[in-house]
Amino acid sequence: MNRFELTAAPVDLAAQREALKHPGSGGFCAFEGWVRNNNEGREVSGLEYEAYTELAIAEGERILAEAAERYGVLAASAVHRVGNLAIGDLAVWIGVSAPHRDEAFRACRYIIDEIKHRLPIWKKEHYLEGDTAWVACSHTERAHELEPPHAHGHHHHPHPSRADKFAPDYSRQVRLREVGEAGQRRLAEARVLVIGAGGLGVPVISYLAGAGVGTLGIVDGDVLDASNLHRQVMYDARDVGQRKVDLAARRVAQLNPAVEVITYEQPLHAGDITDVFAGYDLVVECTDDLASRYLANDAAVLTSTPLVLASVYQYEGQLQVVTAEPGEPCLRCLWPEPPAPALAGSCVESGVLGPVPGVLGTMQAMEALKLLLDLPRPAEHALQLVNLLDGTSQRLPIDASQGCAQHGGCVAVARRSLERAHAEGELERRFERLEEAIHAGYAIVDVREPDEIDATPLHVTSLRVPSGEISAYALVHLERPVLLVCASGRRSAHAARLLREQGVDAWSLAGGIAALMAS
Amino acid sequence: MTRVTLQYYAQLREQAGASSEQVSTTASTLRDLYAELQARHGFSLPVEALKVAVNKQFSDWNRLLAEGDTVVFIPPVAGG
Repeated sequence: MNRFELTAAPVDLAAQREALKHPGSGGFCAFEGWVRNNNEGREVSGLEYEAYTELAIAEGERILAEAAERYGVLAASAVHRVGNLAIGDLAVWIGVSAPHRDEAFRACRYIIDEIKHRLPIWKKEHYLEGDTAWVACSHTERAHELEPPHAHGHHHHPHPSRADKFAPDYSRQVRLREVGEAGQRRLAEARVLVIGAGGLGVPVISYLAGAGVGTLGIVDGDVLDASNLHRQVMYDARDVGQRKVDLAARRVAQLNPAVEVITYEQPLHAGDITDVFAGYDLVVECTDDLASRYLANDAAVLTSTPLVLASVYQYEGQLQVVTAEPGEPCLRCLWPEPPAPALAGSCVESGVLGPVPGVLGTMQAMEALKLLLDLPRPAEHALQLVNLLDGTSQRLPIDASQGCAQHGGCVAVARRSLERAHAEGELERRFERLEEAIHAGYAIVDVREPDEIDATPLHVTSLRVPSGEISAYALVHLERPVLLVCASGRRSAHAARLLREQGVDAWSLAGGIAALMAS
Repeated sequence: MTRVTLQYYAQLREQAGASSEQVSTTASTLRDLYAELQARHGFSLPVEALKVAVNKQFSDWNRLLAEGDTVVFIPPVAGG
């Protein structure tokens, strides 16, 4: 039997516990929430709970019933205090008895998470400085949403149980003549891959989930950093340190449980990207990495998957839609090769104002919906430049005949580039500092020319062998793996390939010196 | 001397310290013009890393400058 209570009086714990005794119980688990003396850095002297009583009790009973059904517990009760409480007072008590301990622990966790998340209870904190503030209690992580445990690779996130009860309402967009019920069905059937769940990815994921895109793939290898929050507004301070793909999947489940999410917790690479793209109707590239953008471009062209590209720099951004149809321009038609990473600039190095990726990401979401719904788009392909400081935007038409067409066409260029990226990927090692490579047992070989070395010397012990002479040195006798280093990673990759043929355990520093952390 | 309006994006805007400027130049082609500006503003990007547009159309670097042209230099940017 389950019971949920709100009370202004102290809780009789012995009586509560006694009421849960059951001959079939092999495990009892209780949780107590206490009033602590601080919250978010402020000293608290006490607090006051206020509830919408009828609704809180009804919802509390429902949570206990859900826990009983979900975990097969025998009895569960919960008591939540209302009114004034002092430091150390018990604010909430949960007790669960079950045949085995595992159900008891999990049900207890479920109940407290759901109470914090769903109950209409407000908390007013009294601070030592004398002021007070109402604090939302409904913000919490729910461990059960992460069940079952993650394995490596990519994950399907099943619809949470409440998806059955929530009916998405798309009426505001279905009302548009160009969308209608038919358009909504297209969205429900659509599969969209979003690469990068950061500044650009956040609005893309949010709007596509809200619009009811049936399946969203999300790729991101990073964990959330506090420095992301000014622009990645679907996360919050409590999420710092967690994997963005998990946070994004959870956010989509909360925003629109009808959307299925597939997460990829490693960046895509030349070896797997075309296979992944083949499973999607559309890709939106939202990383801050030029190499990723070029890789996505090549895979889009080779798999005929439309790709929406955007990138930002400080106060401005660029947007390009690659339709991946024959004769239509791609990213390499504009800039055949990416500039060295050090020259391109990133949010880390150059800085960015939060709304800038917000605007460009929102534009990407718009372009994605236009493609999925086949809405009118300008006939000519263009690079769109947006400057949010002076409020200007210009579309520069791209002449496909002046791009890859002069080098065999986008498909041939993409195939060559992907093959090269694949070969280089198998030769590369990534390090932020060369000391780490030395620590890992590598011998460092600087393959730059003497004048380059003089201009930017390495501050670690290294052999100096210009890349053109690499084959003449008997590096095979080193008996250690060799890490070759040049300015951008190109010459070192080439040299590593030559040395591999001689049987040397040779590797190339990915991105070259330009990719090392500035010391 | 040819009088042209220049627009800069991304790193070029930052290194030039302005998003646009008007200059009088003796350069005859866009390539020469960029070399001149590179010397003046210390632009770090090589010409191969850039796209150039004249009067709202992408252009070849060997195009000859004409009086009153609006020239835009555009690097690819990486941020996200």
